[in-house]
Amino acid sequence: MLPDDEDDKRLMALVAEGDDDALRLLVQRHHARLVGYLRGEVGSQATAEELAMEVFIRLHRAASRWRPEAKLSTYLIHIAHNLVLNEWRRRGRKPTTALEFAAEPGDITQQSARRVAELDEAFQRAIAQLPPEQRTAILLVVQQELPYEDIAEIMGVPVSSVKTWIHRARSRLRELLKDFYGNQ
Amino acid sequence: MDNPNHKTFDQELAASLSRGRFIAVTGFADRVVGAIRSDRRRRVVIRWSSIATAAAACLVAVFTIAAPSEEALNRQTFALVAHDESTQFADLLGASADLSLLSPAVEKSSVVEVLNAPGS
Repeated sequence: MLPDDEDDKRLMALVAEGDDDALRLLVQRHHARLVGYLRGEVGSQATAEELAMEVFIRLHRAASRWRPEAKLSTYLIHIAHNLVLNEWRRRGRKPTTALEFAAEPGDITQQSARRVAELDEAFQRAIAQLPPEQRTAILLVVQQELPYEDIAEIMGVPVSSVKTWIHRARSRLRELLKDFYGNQ
Repeated sequence: MDNPNHKTFDQELAASLSRGRFIAVTGFADRVVGAIRSDRRRRVVIRWSSIATAAAACLVAVFTIAAPSEEALNRQTFALVAHDESTQFADLLGASADLSLLSPAVEKSSVVEVLNAPGS
C-alpha cells in the first residue's frame, strides 16, 4: 500500500470529525487528477472545476460512511463519474462541441510544440465525439491508468463490457483521426 | 500482426491524454473549504427551520383543540342572551307574581272596574 493511501485514511477520519484542515490537505492532494479526468469528460475547464467542487462536497457529506477499504482516489473518480452521468442527462447526451483548450506556454513557436498542441486538440475533439461509455472507459484506462476491475466497479458493469468499450473507442478514434494521421 | 500505425496511434493517444491527467487549479482547496462551510451553515439553518416549523405546528394544534369552535361560541352567546331575557321576564313576572298572591283576595274584574271608573 502506498503511503498516500494510508494517509488518506487518516485524513478522512479527521474530515468525518469536522476537521477542515484535513479536508484541505485531501483536496490539495487529489484535485489536480480529478479536474484532469473531468476536463476530459466534459471538455470545459469551468464545468470540470464545478463538478470537482461538487465531488468534494459529496465526499465531505459521506465522510462518516466512507469505507477505509476503498482507495480514496478511486472513490473520488466514482463520485465524479456519477456527476458526469448527471451532466450528460442534463445536456441530453450531446457531444461537447465547444472545447476549451489551453495552449502550452513557452516553446509554442517551435514546430514540434505546435504539433503537440494540434495533436492534443485533435484528440480532445475526437474523444468528445465518442459515446459516453466509451469516452469514460478510454479516459479511465489511458489517462487515469486504472485497472479494468476498478473501471468496471466505477461504471457498474462487467469487465468484459469495459474491454469492449475500450476496443471500440480506440477504433472510433482512429477513424476520426485518420485524416490527421494520413497527413503525417 | 501489429500495425505500426496503430502502435504509433496508441502511443500518441496515451501521451496526449497523459498530458491532461493532472490539471492543478490555484486556490482550489480554499474554494472547496469555503463551499463546504457554506453548505454546513445552510444545512444547520434548514435543520433548525424544520424544528421551528414543527414546533409552530404543534402550538397551532394545541390552540385549535383547546379553543371552542365558532358554533359553540354562538350557542353560548345565544344561551346567555336567552338567560338574560328570561331574567328580565322574570323580573316583570315577579310583579305579576306579587299580584297573583293578591288574586285570591282581589277579583280581576273588580280591579278592572276600579281602573275604568271615572275619576280613578
